[in-house]
Formats: sequence, C-alpha cells, structure tokens
Amino acid sequence: MDQNADASFDPSKNYDEDTLAQQREIEKEIAASQAMVSQLHTFDEIVEEYSQEDAIYRQKIEDLKSRFKNLRKTRGDGNCFYRAFGFAYLEKLLNDGKEYKRFLDIAQKSKDELIGLGFPQFTLEDFHDTFMDVVKMVENPGTVDGLFQAFNDAGLSDYFVVYLRLLVSGHLQQNADSYVYFIDGERSVKEFCSQEVEPMGKESDHIHIVSLTKALQIAICVEYMDREGEKCNSFKFNPFESLADDTDTAPAFTLLYRPGHYDILYPL
Amino acid sequence: MTTPARRRLMRDFKRLQEDPPAGVSGAPSDNNIMLWNAVIFGPHDTPFEDGTFKLTIEFTEEYPNKPPTVRFISKMFHPNVYADGSICLDILQNRWSPTYDVSAILTSIQSLLHDPNPNSPANYEAAQLYRETRREYEKKVAAIVQESWNDDDDDDDDEGEEDEEESKAGS
Repeated sequence: MDQNADASFDPSKNYDEDTLAQQREIEKEIAASQAMVSQLHTFDEIVEEYSQEDAIYRQKIEDLKSRFKNLRKTRGDGNCFYRAFGFAYLEKLLNDGKEYKRFLDIAQKSKDELIGLGFPQFTLEDFHDTFMDVVKMVENPGTVDGLFQAFNDAGLSDYFVVYLRLLVSGHLQQNADSYVYFIDGERSVKEFCSQEVEPMGKESDHIHIVSLTKALQIAICVEYMDREGEKCNSFKFNPFESLADDTDTAPAFTLLYRPGHYDILYPL
Repeated sequence: MTTPARRRLMRDFKRLQEDPPAGVSGAPSDNNIMLWNAVIFGPHDTPFEDGTFKLTIEFTEEYPNKPPTVRFISKMFHPNVYADGSICLDILQNRWSPTYDVSAILTSIQSLLHDPNPNSPANYEAAQLYRETRREYEKKVAAIVQESWNDDDDDDDDEGEEDEEESKAGS
C-alpha cells in the first residue's frame, strides 16, 4: 500500500486483480443461471429466444425444426464446445458397444502419450483418472440420466473438460508442423496451446475442433447458424477424409453453433 | 466436506512433502487448507541469494481449474511484483493450466526472481533500475534480502539503509 502515483494511473497498483475479480463475478452469474448441460428443449421453446422482428434467426430455427427434434444447451462459460462434445459423444456410446471399446482403448493409451509429451505426470494422472471414471459410466448400467448428473457435477464435468483440452493440446503439439500456419500471431504451437487451449474458459475455434476429432478419431457435424443465407450451414469434421477407407464417416453427433456458443442437436 | 479443490490440495501437499523442489517450501495454514504459507529462498547467483521470502497462496473452490492468488508477504523489490506483493506472472493469469500444482507455482515464481521480465513491469522503479543501472538494482534487492531475515517479528517498519549485518541465513 505504497503510493508512488504520478497521475491518475497508479503504476504500483495491480489492476489485473480487479479485472480478474470482475471476470469471476460474471462467471458466477452465468453459473447461477445456466446448467452445465441442460435438459432437452424443443425448437418451439428455442424460437421464443428471438424476437418477432428477428426474421432471419426465426426462419433458421424453423429450418432446424424440420430436421432435428431437440436441442440440449450447455453453459456459456467458454467450455461449451468440450462439454457439448463430451456429453453428446458419451450419450451416443450408450448405444454403441463397439465404438465404446474403440474409444476406451484410445482414452486409456492417451495418458502415456501425454506424459511422453512432457505434461506433468502427477497432475495429468488426476485428470485422466476422473476422465476415465466418467467415460466408464457408459458401461452397464449406463443411462442418459447418469451422464446428465455427472456432467452437471463440477468436480467431474470440469475435470472431463480439462482432459479434453489436454488431448487437443497434445494433438497440436504432436503435429505442430501441420498446424503452425493456422495459428494467428507470432506464436509457436506450444505457446498457442498454453494460451488458447489449456486454460479453462478459453473458447474453441475451428482448429480446436479439428484437433479433437483427429485426436479421438471421431467424425462430427456442426450446424452453423448466423445471419447469412436462409438455412443453417452444415459442416462435417471428418478425421478420416484423407484415408482410403471412409466407411466410418457417419458423424457421431451434431452440434449447433450460434455465434460464440455450441449446443447439442438431436435428429428427428 | 471434501471438494475437488480440497482433495487436489491434499495431493499437492503430499507431493510437496515427498518430492520437495529445491529452494521452495509450502504448507496449508493450520485450520484452512485453502490458504497456504510458502517460502521461496532467493536463487543462487542472483541478487536475491540468501533471502527467505514469505508468500501466501489463496485458493478458491475452482482450483485447479482457476489459478490461486499468490502474494509476497515479505517486502519485495522486483520488476514484476506490485507494491502490495501481488505478482505479475502469466501462468498465474492468462496462461494458467490446470496441470500446474503448488510445486510448479512456487518454482515458477522462483525462476521469475532469477529472470525478471522488465517489459511488463509491476514496479517501474525496479524495472528501470534493472534495465539501466543494474548496480543500483542489486543494492535495493540486497536491502530487501536483509529485511527478509527479520520478517519473523511483526514486520511493520522497514528502512534498510543500515549496512553491516550478521548473516544468519543458513543457505
């Protein structure tokens, strides 16, 4: 509590802490008002989020309604892509034992790969253990309700998100040569990972989605909803597209992207 | 009641005891695992050598998804430490990774003492002296090194202009 102030700006004061404190207040408000993963919504409910004047978005909701039955929301806390991805995928695995086995194997092996890349073993194991606990909830008797509880339990849900972030970081670092040109700013892939991938709450871009689908070998579809055009643009992330064998390319699930946010879509 | 943050802090503490990094130590305060006291010993071959700098680390229930708040309690003179003892270090802010534990935090701060970043100054005088008149910088640091030995009794008064000090640091 010195004062070396020369003007209105006090150089001895830590303004970062005020900013952080403000951020935490905003996060608390979001946490209090939005579930990490919501129950199913119908599009008749969703359309009410838009005013009558907002013809473009209302029309696009109608488009979705003609192809999808429900929507499940995720909390807008910067982790929505990972949470939507995790929930939608595990929910799919409830009915796909073969794919579950394949995924379980990849998930088990990923721990040693990440440690090999230099992630600290002590803390990585903690996240991996919790991640596997959640994944194994798919096994008998796996239920949507069980997953729903787990994904709304911060201790499980956030640890699960952290581990998905580490998988993205690991994949980017392992394939740094292919990704370095897709990173903006004068940053190395490793710097990008420590700034934009690993910290919780950092939003996901195209590059994060590509990495996660490649790391786990899962094809997904994203419906993009913006002000352009009359229908949502559907985009498939297909990690198999460069392989001759593309038998596995049906997307595991579909997400809805509205500017800055991902939710889960359920087909008719 | 145990929460993910508390469970993880117990693990951090266990690891710190079993595998203590050189030159740092830390432990939860007596009745509150969310508030830790720590000490960083000034790294060798730096002006901070022989200093014993005390810090507090304050965790929230969001740990390890969010970083703790770390503050020097001992008086500090360093380009990246604010007057109130808080620290300008990227891994404690926008580059925080949940894979860091207490041990990693303390060793990062230790290397910050070693390797200041004068381009994002929290203490302008320290940053300027560090860049321009290193000898003056080292003198100022030497003063707070000496003060750090007297921290045990309530540290209210600081004026470190005395030379001639008995060294009592074990180092």
